[in-house]
Amino acid sequence: MPTLIIDNQTVTVPEGTNVLEAAKRLGIEIPHFCYHEALGSVGACRLCAVEFREGPVKGIQMSCMTPAKDGMVVDTGSAEVLAYRAQVIEWLMTNHPHDCPVCDEGGECQLQDMTVAGGHGIRRYTGPKRTYQNQNLGPFIVHEMNRCIQCYRCVRTYQDYCGGTDFGVLGSRQRLYFGRFSDGPLESPFAGNLVDVCPTGVLTDKTYRFKSRVWDLQEAPSICPHCSLGCAVTPGARYRQLQRRRARLNNQTNGHFICDRGRFGYGYANHPDRPRYPLVGHRRVTWQEALAAMQSKLQELGELFGSGSIGLLTSSRATLETQFLTKRWAAALGSDQLCFEAHPRRDFASRVAASQQLDRSASLEDVRNCDLAVLIGADPLSEAPMLALALRQAARRGARIVIVDPRPVVLPVAFERHAVSVDKFSQLLRGLGRPQQGDFSSSMEELGGSLANALLAAQRPLLIGGTDLLGPQGTQALQHAAKACSQPEKPCRTMFMLTGPNSFGGALLSANGPGFDSLMEGMEQGRIKALLCFEADPLADYPDRKRSRAALARLDMLAVFDCAATATVQESDFFFPTTTVEESVGTLINNEGRMQTFEQVFSAGTPLAESASGSHPPRFFTRDIPGSEPQSAWGILSALMGRSADLDALRREIEKNDHRFAGLSQLKANGEGRRIAIPSQHPESLPLNIASSIGSDQLQLLVTETLYGSELLSSLSPCLQELIPAPFVTVHPQDATRFKLEEGKKVLLGTPMGDLTLTLRIEGDMVPGVAIVPRLRGTVLEPLVPGTESLPCRIEKV
Amino acid sequence: MSLWRDIRGTILPFWVTLRYLFRRPVTVCYPERKQIPAPRYRGRLILTRDPDGEERCVACHLCSAACPVDCISMQAAEREDGRRYAAWFRINFSRCIFCGLCTEACPTLALQMTAEYELATRELLQVVCEKEELLIDGCGKNDQYNFYRLAGIGVAAPRGSNPGESPPVDIRSNLP
Amino acid sequence: MNDVLLTFILIVIKLGLVLGTVLSLAAYMVLAERKILGRMQMRHGPNRVGPFGLLQPLADLIKLLCKEDLIPERADRWVFMLAPAISTITALLAFAVIPFAAPLHLFGRTIPMVICDLNVGLLYLLALSSLAVYGVALGGWASQSKYSLLGGLRAMAQMISYELAMGLAIVPVVMSSQSFSLTAIIAAQQTLPNAIRHPLAFLIFVIAIMAESKRTPFDMPEAENELVAGFHTEYSGMRFGMFFVGEYLNLIVLGAMLTVLFLGGWHGPLLPSVCWFLIKVLGVAFFFIWVRGTMPRLRYDQLMAFGWKILVPLGLLNILVTAAWLLWRG
Ligand code: SF4
Ligand code: SF4
Ligand code: SF4
Ligand code: SF4
Ligand code: FES
Repeated sequence: MPTLIIDNQTVTVPEGTNVLEAAKRLGIEIPHFCYHEALGSVGACRLCAVEFREGPVKGIQMSCMTPAKDGMVVDTGSAEVLAYRAQVIEWLMTNHPHDCPVCDEGGECQLQDMTVAGGHGIRRYTGPKRTYQNQNLGPFIVHEMNRCIQCYRCVRTYQDYCGGTDFGVLGSRQRLYFGRFSDGPLESPFAGNLVDVCPTGVLTDKTYRFKSRVWDLQEAPSICPHCSLGCAVTPGARYRQLQRRRARLNNQTNGHFICDRGRFGYGYANHPDRPRYPLVGHRRVTWQEALAAMQSKLQELGELFGSGSIGLLTSSRATLETQFLTKRWAAALGSDQLCFEAHPRRDFASRVAASQQLDRSASLEDVRNCDLAVLIGADPLSEAPMLALALRQAARRGARIVIVDPRPVVLPVAFERHAVSVDKFSQLLRGLGRPQQGDFSSSMEELGGSLANALLAAQRPLLIGGTDLLGPQGTQALQHAAKACSQPEKPCRTMFMLTGPNSFGGALLSANGPGFDSLMEGMEQGRIKALLCFEADPLADYPDRKRSRAALARLDMLAVFDCAATATVQESDFFFPTTTVEESVGTLINNEGRMQTFEQVFSAGTPLAESASGSHPPRFFTRDIPGSEPQSAWGILSALMGRSADLDALRREIEKNDHRFAGLSQLKANGEGRRIAIPSQHPESLPLNIASSIGSDQLQLLVTETLYGSELLSSLSPCLQELIPAPFVTVHPQDATRFKLEEGKKVLLGTPMGDLTLTLRIEGDMVPGVAIVPRLRGTVLEPLVPGTESLPCRIEKV
Repeated sequence: MSLWRDIRGTILPFWVTLRYLFRRPVTVCYPERKQIPAPRYRGRLILTRDPDGEERCVACHLCSAACPVDCISMQAAEREDGRRYAAWFRINFSRCIFCGLCTEACPTLALQMTAEYELATRELLQVVCEKEELLIDGCGKNDQYNFYRLAGIGVAAPRGSNPGESPPVDIRSNLP
Repeated sequence: MNDVLLTFILIVIKLGLVLGTVLSLAAYMVLAERKILGRMQMRHGPNRVGPFGLLQPLADLIKLLCKEDLIPERADRWVFMLAPAISTITALLAFAVIPFAAPLHLFGRTIPMVICDLNVGLLYLLALSSLAVYGVALGGWASQSKYSLLGGLRAMAQMISYELAMGLAIVPVVMSSQSFSLTAIIAAQQTLPNAIRHPLAFLIFVIAIMAESKRTPFDMPEAENELVAGFHTEYSGMRFGMFFVGEYLNLIVLGAMLTVLFLGGWHGPLLPSVCWFLIKVLGVAFFFIWVRGTMPRLRYDQLMAFGWKILVPLGLLNILVTAAWLLWRG
């Protein structure tokens, strides 16, 4: 722990900390370009120079390259240092174009800041400026190479941190070029981070191109709603339009970066088809009318058929506040027909996941620090992309990554691969639960056993499970295995990928309540006459769409509260528009049980760009903002229950009611969140039997999540549309030969949901005997929902 | 002595004011007669064009950031050739205090002040001016300056051919 | 019986005449002041309403009448509403005793050209000017505003102080004319106006009434750059108008007083007496405006010091000297 003196202040820092970081602890910001907390130092920009007066090194040195040592006396602002920095800036500016007014970085540009801070105003060098040709880097990133200052941050992010291979540094000496070999979209699903790390305007956000300046944006700490990891983001909005998302620092979850689904999936909030008005029987009415009509209908049904005739449903998209109030309202209505997820198997898997010993639950930071990660039935890039990035960081620190999965899995890092079909998961998990034992009855059990032994031997072992493939039984078995592989001083941590951003909250609140299956039966038998859906879409999310459609059709009343035009919204008798995450406040509990609150970024309203007439915004004055009807779901629920919409009071009530949520009312949106300490109790022990019976002329149908197109909200984002693949099915070469299929040709997939015509892909890196289809919303694949027990299917040429 | 000075100092001004009573007033009676303001008078704002006849404004938001009363609003857009311009640009003259900070901030010299000062109206919306009303067909002051000929993004001329630029780097060359 | 009725009718006629003249005079005094001040400052003054801006008083009146009558929430409502009336009415009442022309001999009757020829008219005038302080002080107090309150206090202190000097300046006049009746005082000046007979008293009186009327250079109670508008800061509409008119009425009253006491009243050659009276009053008013256009405002302590340390002793001395002189002359 060296102790040093920086600008006359003494500071003690851990061994290995560089002087730049040490100064930051004292609140002294040393100017820098190339150093980045997550990327480390390279000493390329020469801006972080400081003067060492005493100690092992003397004179002007780069603070990012100099580890703090005992006895150092550092001056960060001596005249000589300032002159040195001013000179560095002046050199950087000799080639810098006269671009600020047309540069999207302007206003948040580190180079601008440093140039102004360094006092460099007039270019003295009169020689020619170097220029470059730009490249088309795809739908997300704009390239403007003339502005580059050769700090290497982009390459270090893209190649080192994110594991991308198609972007790098080319050329030599004064002609360094940061780009691809040739034009083309960046392949890494983390390419968007280049926007955040590039300190200049070389790499900027194409979806935000020329939309705003940072000083005009409304920004607030928020949470990414596109998977269950709960990454921290800072959305920016202007003129009632959500215009971009940036990564926000949360060391426990995403760190400095986010994935492209999170960064570019924001378009749903501005979607032109977003329903923005309360509807009664598809007729636009006022809030008062709609609420009154629904209340009276509910009362009528309650009187006729009893309170049990009302079913309530929320989803993993709903905030904790909404879920809690739904539960409260169900109690007030006297109904026990309440459920927090429309997909029963996913629902129960989440409940099992939430019932584990939570001190063993791993955060993404734990993932980054593990030395052995075993992933079972998990495809991180598709189901929770930032997990893939975290695994890469673990691997970069020497961790071993093992993936056991039937699907072709891609990770931005090398890993050990076992293609195992879902049927064999039971055996594998049995073996995994029995470390240090012999007599395995099958090779699968043996594989499980050997992995278990490796976990026992590892220092920071980690088991990661995908609940979609594992199901409730597998999830529980994985938990048991983790317990078996734990030692008191080094627990085997677990992480499960869940359905949505607040699956965990729903799981905690649902306890032993009914699943949606039982509500479904109720609807079919006519016991349940009314269904109230809070940000839930049972039509799309219930695995059997025919059945859910028939059941919903039998209802006397279907009320939907949602922010997107889902299939269920189309069928609703009463519709109430709700706000998006960016337009409201709330709490989400991520897959490890971390409660995180988010703040309101902007107020809901039809974007000015849409409501504008002709070539400029409206030229009249009104009091009301067009499209500003949406209200937060918890706010609507408060109104329905006759409570005041007081968030603080509500959070205190949640805390008081359920001690698992202790600390909720103190949470700060820009903090690291707070881990739930006490798990939910799920006493049932489930039989471990994940098997299916498939005929010899059939394949096992496996529906999986995919990076773009599966998650509801991001699939609505216009800028992600061109990345959503055409509907396809993937089979093993063996099966291709067996059914005489050819790569790229159309095939007919006969599923229980109907016959689908899809493009064939052949992939060697998977188990034979399965047909893998992604869930793609808005395509023929829409009715197929992941997380369902495997079904048989036929495949043939068309 | 000082008493005499005081008395004189009290009486004399009466003479002065009395004389002034019969002088000709200097006031210009406005609607009948109009002042000709100085060339740098800070009156109504205009948007000018560059010497090539294109809109100078690049919708950089600097004027709106500088404006102390927030009366400028705009939306930038991109033309096919990569030129950034204002899709719409609005100045609300009912809020403008004619301080001129916006014109000082304007990096492209697009926004300029004119000597026009007769803006009063009873119709508030008449002084909410859109780009069409602000844009003139000339360069105004500084008729030589063309921002896009000095910027590096290659809009007015291909990249590397503006004055003071070397031709684009050949990234595949390894020559020293 | 008939006589009483006739006297009554005559009084009503005189009342109407005086009131009409005085009020329209006050209105045009405002215009005159703005015009003269404007010209002294090389401006035009109001010139938009009517020819040469002559309808400006009317326009101002309409504007004031149409304005909202604001009463501050925490104000003392009744006092607030009454204060402007006090200051206007006291000014108007003063005209009751001022002889504005030589008595008229009509149909064998001698009609005195004064509404009421009180034999203690001078005391009545002094009493009224003391009462006028109330309007200002109460208005300032009732507004519940620190500016108004300070303005009211200043006005009170200033008016009380200078009333003393004013009273002292009148004593020699009374001594020489041996009457409190204004008619008698005018009669005593038939040959020589008191201004020449008692120059020191004249000077003191002029200064004192200037201070009494709260006009520059003694406009401390409404010093704009310190107190917004002093005691009438919170007033608006016609209530403000009453204060305003009261002030100009006061200007005329004081001009009339000066005319009666020192400038020989309606005495003058050639022209009818009423004309002389008007000329003198208007001359005094012009002088006041001229002073306003010329002199800067005094400081408050200077004002008080001047009043108490110079004017009052001078006034006393003047009385002694006059008394001695009168005694010596027998
Ligand atoms: S990178 Fe920064 S300094 Fe360079 S043009 Fe863009 S905003 Fe200006
Ligand atoms: S492109 Fe940006 S991040 Fe990369 S070297 Fe240039 S300035 Fe640095
Ligand atoms: S002159 Fe001043 S107030 Fe008017 S638009 Fe420009 S910056 Fe704003
Ligand atoms: S500062 Fe100039 S170029 Fe920029 S938006 Fe304003 S007028 Fe246009
Ligand atoms: S930050 Fe140290 S050299 Fe760039």
